[in-house]
Amino acid sequence: MSTTAAAAAAAKREKLVVTVDKPIPLEFDMGHLTAFDNNPLDPELYRTNREACLTAAMRDGAQALINQVLTVLPLKATADGIFAELPDPVTTLPREKPIPKDREPTKWELFAKKKGIKAKKKDGKLVYDEEKQEWVPKWGYKGKNKEAEAQWLVEVDDKKAHSSHCEKPRQPQRNTVSGRLRRLFAAPKEGHVALCFDRGQRG
Amino acid sequence: MIRIGKPRNARSKRALAERDPKLIENQKTTLILRGTSASETIQSVLTDLHALKKPASIKFSKKNDIHPFDDHSGFDFLSGKNDASLVVLGSHSKKRPHNLTVARTFDHKVLDMLEFGVDEKTYKSLEAFKEVEKPRVGMKPLLLFSGAAWEQSDQMKRVRNFWMDFFRGENVKAVDVEGLQYVLSFLAAEEGKVHIRGSMIRTKRSGQKLPRVEVEETGPRLDLTVRREQEAQPEMWKEAIKTPFKQVTKTKKNISTDIIGDKIGRIHTGKQDLSKLQSRKMKGLKKRDIDHMDMDDATLVDEEEAAPKRARRS
Repeated sequence: MSTTAAAAAAAKREKLVVTVDKPIPLEFDMGHLTAFDNNPLDPELYRTNREACLTAAMRDGAQALINQVLTVLPLKATADGIFAELPDPVTTLPREKPIPKDREPTKWELFAKKKGIKAKKKDGKLVYDEEKQEWVPKWGYKGKNKEAEAQWLVEVDDKKAHSSHCEKPRQPQRNTVSGRLRRLFAAPKEGHVALCFDRGQRG
Repeated sequence: MIRIGKPRNARSKRALAERDPKLIENQKTTLILRGTSASETIQSVLTDLHALKKPASIKFSKKNDIHPFDDHSGFDFLSGKNDASLVVLGSHSKKRPHNLTVARTFDHKVLDMLEFGVDEKTYKSLEAFKEVEKPRVGMKPLLLFSGAAWEQSDQMKRVRNFWMDFFRGENVKAVDVEGLQYVLSFLAAEEGKVHIRGSMIRTKRSGQKLPRVEVEETGPRLDLTVRREQEAQPEMWKEAIKTPFKQVTKTKKNISTDIIGDKIGRIHTGKQDLSKLQSRKMKGLKKRDIDHMDMDDATLVDEEEAAPKRARRS
């Protein structure tokens, strides 16, 4: 009994038509999810039972659209559901606003282009210290440039052994006492006499 | 036009930037207005259109003394003020009962306008279909233009183009198949008459790959008659349908990203010449020795080759 019922149901299911056959094939613009059915509506039915006529046309169109989505469009299954990728639209529809114009280059941009000047790339404040196995600042507190100061033993260059420079390797020589004195008593250039004298007075 | 000064803070700056023309545009916003007199029918139509167009829709309830076919400056102003490019005005008068004026704007100026008369007798709102489920907010409708009349005249083509623009919704690259539940049909059997029907899609298992589609009307049911029309000026239309050059980005070959986000590059090395591969050096494996071994029929050639060499050396 149940088997015959199931068979009957199956037969009934198979009867359902899922294709849309019309004399003029439907056109689609799937970019806008639109179908164009240029077949005339049944004139007799349109006059006598309008709603039935419209509903029939509507059903066929909807079936055609769903078929198009499921067969022609590429489908992608994601966690949020199955997505149908839409092609570019075919029908030209007007824009809302004009196409934006490119910004006028500034005077500097024009000049830079003419001269071939390019913006300097920032390469960061940190450098990788192989010994410490971490990133350290290039200069300043705990910086890479302070490395020489932190050494407990410094190799002395024989030639410079007597200069104070090797005591404070970071300090420019001109700021040391000997450096200042040397500058002060160096033979003054022409026109610089007064300045040298002045300094001597103060010191 | 509305005078807009320099933005004073970041928020207003963002708001202004949102209104600027864009290469890829936002969804068109619909502005829904009522005229000085509006019948109950036309007001219901406006409510329906607002419901279908939400969230990209603004509905005003105050009366507006706008007669767009005489002077559309009111449309221009409100379009600019609200950054809306689709304007709908519902009005009712003895001369034009249940009148629906729809307009598109380009750069906040009216591009084209159409006027429809709503048939009061056949009209049924979304609310009237009580038992049937309503389309959810922001649901992209499927559009169907059915009937031979659509291709019959240029006016009908313009009407079709308008309604397509009106209901197309957001520009998207992909849609959730699950969300395709609402179909809006525009049916035209004779020129100048448009039947708009909205219905929910019900799919049935058919025993085949594709489902059997049935429709259940959920409204609105609108029978429109085309009244007046103002066509777009050709030069304005031309400007409006310009499409920007597509910026094609060249895809870099052989570079991919894995799930973790690491960049993976694939490089191609040439085919390795195995004959030049240096294997273990042994006296017994020397190449020259092999040459010497099968000299039987190559002796002549070898000697010929060797002769000039010897000459050069001496």
